[in-house]
Amino acid sequence: MFSRFFSAALTVVALSLSHTGAFAQETVKIGVVVPLSGPNAQFGANIRNGLEVATKEINERGGISSLKGAKVELVFADATDPAKAGVAVQRLVSRDRVVGVVGSFISNITLAASEVTERLGVPMITHSFADQITERGYRNIFQVSPKASVIGAATFDQAAALGNLAGEKISKIALLWEDTSYGTAQSKGIRDAAKRAGVEVVVDEGYPPGITDVTPLINKVRASSAQLIFPVSYVNDAMLIIRALRQQQISTPIVGGAGGYIIPDFGKALGDVADGVLSITPANYDANKEMADKYRATYGIWPSHETLLYTAGFQDLVQAIDTAKSTDPQKIRDAIASARYCVGFARALPNNCVAFDQNGLTSTGQPIMVQWQKGELVTVWPRTAGAQLIWRGSVVKE
Amino acid sequence: MKQALIVTVLVALGSLVAGFVFDANSYPIRVLCIVLLTASMGQAWNLVGGFNQISLGHSAFFGIGAYVTTVAQVKFGLNPWLGLPLAMIASVLFALILSVPTMRLKGPYFALATLAAAEACKIAASVMGITGGPQGLSVPFVGDSWAMMQFRYPGTYVPIFVGLFAISSIVFAWLVSSRVGYFLRAVRDNELAAEVAGVATFKTKLFSSIVSAALMAVCGVLFAQFTYFIDPETVFSIPNVSIRAALVVIIGGVGTLVGPLFGALLIIPLEELLNASLSDSVGGLPPLLFGALLIVVVLLKPAGLTSIRVPRMGGRKS
Amino acid sequence: MISLLQALVDGVLNGGVYGVIAVGLSLVFGVLGIVNFSQAQFLMIGMYVAWFIWHATGIDPIIGAFAALVVGGAIGALLYSCLIRHVADASVLAQIFVTVGLIAVLENLALIFLGADYRSVKTSYQTEAINVASVLVSKPYLIAFTAAIIVSVLLSLLLNRSWLGRAIRATAQNEAASTAFGIDGLRTKSLAFGLGTGLTAFGGGVILPYASVNPTVGSQYIVLMFTVAVLGGLGSTMGALVGGIIVGIIQSVSTLFLPVQMKDLALFVVFIAILAIRPQGLLAGVSR
Repeated sequence: MFSRFFSAALTVVALSLSHTGAFAQETVKIGVVVPLSGPNAQFGANIRNGLEVATKEINERGGISSLKGAKVELVFADATDPAKAGVAVQRLVSRDRVVGVVGSFISNITLAASEVTERLGVPMITHSFADQITERGYRNIFQVSPKASVIGAATFDQAAALGNLAGEKISKIALLWEDTSYGTAQSKGIRDAAKRAGVEVVVDEGYPPGITDVTPLINKVRASSAQLIFPVSYVNDAMLIIRALRQQQISTPIVGGAGGYIIPDFGKALGDVADGVLSITPANYDANKEMADKYRATYGIWPSHETLLYTAGFQDLVQAIDTAKSTDPQKIRDAIASARYCVGFARALPNNCVAFDQNGLTSTGQPIMVQWQKGELVTVWPRTAGAQLIWRGSVVKE
Repeated sequence: MKQALIVTVLVALGSLVAGFVFDANSYPIRVLCIVLLTASMGQAWNLVGGFNQISLGHSAFFGIGAYVTTVAQVKFGLNPWLGLPLAMIASVLFALILSVPTMRLKGPYFALATLAAAEACKIAASVMGITGGPQGLSVPFVGDSWAMMQFRYPGTYVPIFVGLFAISSIVFAWLVSSRVGYFLRAVRDNELAAEVAGVATFKTKLFSSIVSAALMAVCGVLFAQFTYFIDPETVFSIPNVSIRAALVVIIGGVGTLVGPLFGALLIIPLEELLNASLSDSVGGLPPLLFGALLIVVVLLKPAGLTSIRVPRMGGRKS
Repeated sequence: MISLLQALVDGVLNGGVYGVIAVGLSLVFGVLGIVNFSQAQFLMIGMYVAWFIWHATGIDPIIGAFAALVVGGAIGALLYSCLIRHVADASVLAQIFVTVGLIAVLENLALIFLGADYRSVKTSYQTEAINVASVLVSKPYLIAFTAAIIVSVLLSLLLNRSWLGRAIRATAQNEAASTAFGIDGLRTKSLAFGLGTGLTAFGGGVILPYASVNPTVGSQYIVLMFTVAVLGGLGSTMGALVGGIIVGIIQSVSTLFLPVQMKDLALFVVFIAILAIRPQGLLAGVSR
């Protein structure tokens, strides 16, 4: 009879209620809501690597001292799109009793997840760039990166400054941007900064990130007199764009908008075609060579920006739990809001610390400019001794 | 049909009770809400899919519904209850427009045309300024409010989702047993013969798609109010909305009253169970197993779960 | 004028490749009457096969694409004979949704065993283009297009001249009758399905020089594939090619006067309009 299925279904539901690891005094759980499958699985995997390294380290050092050495345990939830984020957060908070959440890489997933963390009163730390994340007046969401508009503006300003160094005054730029949240927000930052500087945006084209043929975009760039090209892309489209630019023998300097331009795959796939490509980023591993080498020894590759930022955010969260001497999410939230954390992966971030303003936005974060040089990402702005800048194929003499 | 109605009522009542009894801020209750929502989405699809019009574009109506009320809330402060009829009207208008080029299409051509229409809506929502573009829109935070159809914890939403589920089932039951339903079955079985017999096939199909569109729009509105954040990719999603709505019906039994419910009762908790137990391990394992189990279920019961018959006294088929 | 020529060239080159990618879908529908939702996953499979061959031996993916055809075909034939045929007598919906389940299975098998990274190849001609009267013809596009045309011709020969081709067309037209004539329905159908998936896998190998592969690459192409196959007329292999080229041209030319952001929108509007006028697609093949 039909009721048989109803009761079977109820059993399935009830099963998902139970959990073998009941809340124990000796463990503090932290939720991780990131894409572990789907098109952004790579980023989720990178974040996971960093968090697991940090967790192991914390537990080996004796766990959270103010909670009698309670061990930290990560609980993962795969969130490939915003619709799944809410139920993932609910599960982590209600069933697994996490005291804090980190996630979710993609801005819109973060927005959806943080709507739920706000209502359930659990603090969440994210690296996602979207401006709205800390503009909703929420108390429980913290953004370790600068906002997209700030990153966008810095992309233009720093690129123009680098151009000046190389002796080229920029008056015309081309702007290509993938048209989801990330590209739209960041390109706006670039566009507005260009306008402020009186620079003309001669090509301004959005495109769907799943684009399979970028020649229409590159044709427009080729026909223009742009002196700098600002593509804001994810992985696949970034590679298509760079290759197409080379194909059409366009040697205009390229300034990527983070995303696909600052991950190891970009360098691996393009080889020396990647050399010279600049990009903005919220953090780069060359700020702390020792940590980067240690990571490289375990994972065979340098830590990408999402690894650095989420791990730093996670370590900040753990330190806040220690400071709060409590597993009450609201006390932890207060500790995050008032803490300034300067050890662990935070030392690889700009200004070497993690701290937040009253809206939850980073008060220490700052965009920096990096450049691909022989498979490595080198920070070229702010200028530091020993960091070469390559412009149109040759080293710039300062 | 009578047994199906009884089951539907029992589930509705059971859910209401569960909503009161269980902690409002709990995972199973949130899952229950999602089950009821998905069953309703399935029922909306069932109104056309159950009569052989396989649509893959229902996400268009879902997304239109979600956006109309949310934009009205964000830009004009209109509360979602009042926005609801507007959402339904907008969705119906789109269904009417879409019916013109698609009415003559059959099978996969119809399905693909509806898919293209939904994708077009998604792109339009992304480029239009008023929708907030790809960055999406947050439903303004108000804590707990019946007036604004928004609550802090999922438990308080249960009556609303039960209401949606009940209404969608009633609409389906009514349609099936009405004259229109009779014509729809005639069209489904043999459109040419029906036309010859004097059935106004175009008007009949149009009627069911309008009702379906309106119902789907309501689902979209409730989704927005429940998840607090929408963006074009999410509410116009082909796999997560269009295909999911069709999927629960196909698993449960196309054209039956309880098909969508059974499908949702199997699919959603299964997916959650897989995520809950396997997210910690290898990435990709939950969706892999989900896909595999889906294949198994369809292979074992291609006509849907409702085709499972338990032998009864007298051997009468229900 | 130059930009119009450039757009046309790009559109045709891309379109030919879209055609080869989509023709398998059309074939499968024509013979089996089902829309294989997992078709795009075979693009991914083909890309990985060609990538691994390149990675291990340095052989160009265009050559590797033929191996991809065989592997993709074998997997497809296997899947048909083990899985899909069990619902061959059930509703079309059941058949379709078995393939929907396959999408998640294939994609996540790739994720688990091959990882989430984006892999690409390095070929000598990847970043080169030929300048023909200021129209830049991308070398990888041209090579992919040529391979696509060759395979389309071979396919046409196969379907029209070979025994297998005749068996496939006979089974598509009237299975009962062809069985009566001694044609093994199951074997023919498995081979037809395999041929369809193999062709898409071939398309994967062919685009590898300019695209990168990752478990989810199928989702980038699936809507395009379906649009091409349906536009051309499901079941018509010629239609897939024609559909592909038309889609390529629409996408390319529309960017001349519409923002690139809306090129898919333009495509969908045209698509719906064409179907409104010709509901069975442009070159309706075997009617189903």
